[in-house]
Amino acid sequence: MARKALVRLIRNRRTCLDFSYDVNANFTIRLAQLFSCLNKSGEKNKKEVRGGIQCTVSADERNVCFDLLHPQVIFEQEGIFIHSSTESAEDQDSLTAGLLRILDKDGDILVEYKPMEDTVDPSNMLCAGKDSSSVMEWTQCTGDRGHRLVEHQLSYETEWDMLNTVSFKRKQSTSGEGWHCSLDRSKGAFSFNVGELKSIMVKTEGWSRLVFRLREDSGMPALHFHQGGSEAFLDALRRFVHLVQSPNDESCLIVSSQNKALSQSFENLLDDATFGLVQKFKNDPYTTTLGGFSKVTNYIFDAFRGPELLHQQRPAEEVADLLSEVIPGLEVNQQEEPGFEVITRIDLGPRPEVRRREPVSAEDWTEHMDIEGKVQNVSHLKELIFKGGLCHAVRKEAWKFLLGYFPWDSTRDERKSLQKRKTDEYFRMKLQWKSVSEEQERRNSRLRDYRSLIEKDVNRTDRTNKFYEGPDNPGLILLHDILMTYCMYDFDLGYVQGMSDLLSPILYVMENEVDTFWCFVSFMDQMHQNFEEQMQGMKTQLIQLGTLLQLLDLSFWNYLESQDSGYLYFCFRWLLIRFKRELSFQDVLRLWEVMWTGLPCQNFHLLVCCAILDSEKQKIVEENYGFNEILKHINELSMKLDIEEILLKAEAICWQIESCKVCICMSHFILFSIHLPPLLSGAGSRGQQSEQSTPDLPLPAHLLQFLWGNPKANSVHKNNEQNR
Amino acid sequence: MAAKSSLLKVILLGDGGVGKSSLMNRYVTNKFDAHLFHTIGVEFLNKDLEVDGHLVTMQIWDTAGQERFRSLRTPFYRGSDCCLLTFSVDDSQSFLNLANWKKEFIYYADVKEPESFPFVVLGNKVDVTERQVSTEDAQRWCRDNGNHPYYETSAKDATNVAAAFEEAVRRVLAVEERGEHLIPTDTVNLHRKPRSSATCC
Ligand SMILES: Nc1nc2c(ncn2[C@@H]2O[C@H](COP(=O)(O)OP(=O)(O)O)[C@@H](O)[C@H]2O)c(=O)[nH]1
Ligand SMILES: [Mg+2]
Repeated sequence: MARKALVRLIRNRRTCLDFSYDVNANFTIRLAQLFSCLNKSGEKNKKEVRGGIQCTVSADERNVCFDLLHPQVIFEQEGIFIHSSTESAEDQDSLTAGLLRILDKDGDILVEYKPMEDTVDPSNMLCAGKDSSSVMEWTQCTGDRGHRLVEHQLSYETEWDMLNTVSFKRKQSTSGEGWHCSLDRSKGAFSFNVGELKSIMVKTEGWSRLVFRLREDSGMPALHFHQGGSEAFLDALRRFVHLVQSPNDESCLIVSSQNKALSQSFENLLDDATFGLVQKFKNDPYTTTLGGFSKVTNYIFDAFRGPELLHQQRPAEEVADLLSEVIPGLEVNQQEEPGFEVITRIDLGPRPEVRRREPVSAEDWTEHMDIEGKVQNVSHLKELIFKGGLCHAVRKEAWKFLLGYFPWDSTRDERKSLQKRKTDEYFRMKLQWKSVSEEQERRNSRLRDYRSLIEKDVNRTDRTNKFYEGPDNPGLILLHDILMTYCMYDFDLGYVQGMSDLLSPILYVMENEVDTFWCFVSFMDQMHQNFEEQMQGMKTQLIQLGTLLQLLDLSFWNYLESQDSGYLYFCFRWLLIRFKRELSFQDVLRLWEVMWTGLPCQNFHLLVCCAILDSEKQKIVEENYGFNEILKHINELSMKLDIEEILLKAEAICWQIESCKVCICMSHFILFSIHLPPLLSGAGSRGQQSEQSTPDLPLPAHLLQFLWGNPKANSVHKNNEQNR
Repeated sequence: MAAKSSLLKVILLGDGGVGKSSLMNRYVTNKFDAHLFHTIGVEFLNKDLEVDGHLVTMQIWDTAGQERFRSLRTPFYRGSDCCLLTFSVDDSQSFLNLANWKKEFIYYADVKEPESFPFVVLGNKVDVTERQVSTEDAQRWCRDNGNHPYYETSAKDATNVAAAFEEAVRRVLAVEERGEHLIPTDTVNLHRKPRSSATCC
């Protein structure tokens, strides 16, 4: 009996595509391929291709497309050119760019080349309208018979955006050559079975050029690797054919015994350590759960952007142990869609108790300084700050480090000279706008607009705070001057509303124009994307927040979606200016210094969002709030929030997810065959957040990458860079 | 007789700093707060009122005016019953930008018949002595651009604020009485929920 598994792709927090595949007799084989791909060859693959799943990430990383590949893609590279006039002619070559792949189609290894026009043909794309963040592209699947299964997946018409209905139109199949060898000369597309391959000519003149010779000479066009990659391709090919240099011609690689490698990829599996794992998967619960895994996986996948492949191998016993640990936490729902298993819940386990500490006092701070004024034991200090914040007296000094204006490893003297340099630099930039005459300004609409908005906004920033109170408050002039100077520092960005909110607490703490400016510059480095033209930072954060909410409480998430609130508009102000308007001024100071430690994970502010929503969700759902009411309710939380409570909860959520990272990783691993996560015992990791900043800890970097990405990125290191 | 209270969505548009938030607050809470923050994101307030015997709940939407935030505010235009185009009489640029605001609104609100859609124009801050836009210029613009009613207001001293909002309601009711549907019924109105009927004796 054929079982079906449902794969649900979720884009922009919307279900966008469901498709099914048969969990048939070949299932074990496919899994085996997957593991084999992982263990043996992964590093040669393009990162987007993982064990039968192609994950295409657009250049801006906004659009992710998953594709179950039958055939499986072993190698893939775009930007391979053929020169369509004769190979030797240098004149008037017209270049055609194309996609080169090695495919595994049920054990047949194929080399396939397709010109790009084919792959980007609009009729082969899923397109959505206005909102560019919701465009999804299928970058493959032209009409070949071998793509039967793919065709099946794509025959869905998917409505997936509330504004746009998109549909996929499939181009009619043109070539019916089968898989031995097909060559569509007019376009330059070809494909052949590696069994047909006789030799490869490799020429390198500036770039590499490959010409395939087949047993039946069919005159393949030369492939030009203008952007490199020929070696990677040959390496991938070497797994299936044995290439030896011709004794007569060193630019010729001859295929000696192609059969050997072909069968190897399967046979090795059986004596491989992975076999034990494959056997486990055959057991029913595992098999059935597997299809469902994909859904859980997809909750996480937005988090999974731009990963670098880290390959580690783990003994199979470990893998198996991990799996059995993981699966009991998953709940499979067979009702939702008859015949399909869909995982509806991933059990995160209990939220641990966490405690906060007293703020770091002036004594604590000085204790961490050596005689030269170098900060000692920085990670411990950061931990203290994360756990308790800073006493106000320490802030003026400590914030400069936290923000990255002062390097942590600098001496007092170094900092003095840094400040001196930075003072000169500041006043140089300040003079620039100060010396613009009225007449000049009349001809500079951008400067005029910046100035006019800054003047208006400074008058509307924290005016109830004593520090900025009353008419002609000198603080307002400083805010104005610093923002104007920032326009000179970064004229492209200029002034965007919200920036005055980020500046005001810093000036309040620093009480010094120059220091404030440079601390603000550092803070803006972190926040820059929020304010850019496309507001990419905002979009990314809203997507990441959505991922977290799905993970933490799917039913609440579903509620939000049912109220058209899945875009999380209501969190916009929170994220744009880091809760500046939501908390009392003093609480903002506390939250920001805690965030700037970079502990216990990156983007801790997203967990702060989760913590606040966690406290509000009951009310929202019980009162059956609609779109408007949710927005209003969230807006009205402003100034009613308790920072310590929020920080406690956010940290607890962090450990809760962390202890379950293995589980999340595993679900990811299975379909996307990323590297295996390190074994993390759920209890052990708690309270050991310093572990996170140990650079050599093998982290599952692809998962929830925005929380636990590159450990080195945990600190606000970015800001240190700009002081060099 | 029990009368249905209907929900009217009104949106305030105009350059940053012309006084949109102050107008909304003046109208809904009858207060003027000179220390008000500039708006980040999107906010709205509700106000119940009676106009010519009709009970209505006016839902007033206020947004951030800077160009950069366009993609945030425009989704909220849909389903609006009336648009209050706002400028400040002491800022000629904000007056010149009215046309852009109108265009942006019509485009994103997906207004089917812009000619009959109710706009009301507000020239705010009339309490200020250094005017840059004369009453005549403003009236001419309103006449030439679709015969929109024009109100000179001051959120600071409350001049004409209630009158302007009430005019907005009248315009909407007038359009509805003519049996026209501003929003085609086949469009899902995401941001609008039918209000449970309030009764009045
Ligand atoms: N004199 C005067 N000032 C006003 C009036 N309305 C608003 N303001 C001020 O103009 C500035 C901008 O007002 P705000 O409501 O924030 O404008 P918005 O950006 O359009 O929402 C604030 O400093 C207000 O105090 C008014 O009627 N008269
Ligand atoms: Mg405002």
